Amino acid sequence: MNEQRRQVLQMLAEGKITADEADRLIEALERDQPELPPATATRQKPRPKYLRVVVLDSSSGPEPTRVNIRVPLQLLRAGVQLTSLIPPQALTRVNAELDKSGVPIDLAELKPQQLEELVDQLHEVTVDIEDGDAKVQVFCE
Amino acid sequence: MIPQLVTLRYRGPGGRWLRLYLPVLPAAVLLSPLLILAVLAGLIACVTFGISPTSELRGAGHLLWALPGTRVEIEDGQTTLLVSVR
Repeated sequence: MNEQRRQVLQMLAEGKITADEADRLIEALERDQPELPPATATRQKPRPKYLRVVVLDSSSGPEPTRVNIRVPLQLLRAGVQLTSLIPPQALTRVNAELDKSGVPIDLAELKPQQLEELVDQLHEVTVDIEDGDAKVQVFCE
Repeated sequence: MIPQLVTLRYRGPGGRWLRLYLPVLPAAVLLSPLLILAVLAGLIACVTFGISPTSELRGAGHLLWALPGTRVEIEDGQTTLLVSVR
């Protein structure tokens, strides 16, 4: 029982308000209460299992090119874990090549935990690109 | 669970379907001599590059365990390729 309802009942018990007034007050309190806190609603949503990539390209001819890929998120996690096993020499070379291509990212700074968090947050990601006859969708289900 | 069945379907320009069902465990048993060689080569590579072989094996195991459910479909005109891991 919440505090406001308790106060109404207390006032009724003390004779400060009538039963009808108490009933109206309780009804008003129930109307004011939100149905479900947003955090609870999010928690009840089932966790996605797969990452889907759907590509449809109708520009190449009368029959469109379709690509439909479904990858378990668990597989992404396993792949991400493997990145921690990349030898330091290889990391240095990859960093140098990335830098040369204008992407100055230091892969050695990426920790497996951060990558796992990234995968965990993927279910919020939806990419929808439409460009003329081509369409690309990336989402989790 | 490790993958049990890999299904490969291919339809060429002639419209004829080619279906290949590959049971993973029997295939792994059949190819076990090659697999042992591959594992040995992997272990040597790990030692050469200074990576922990146990971490590498664990990572490869996770990858294998996570494969079921993977599905790739590519359709380009008359040609279709479908790979499914169950």
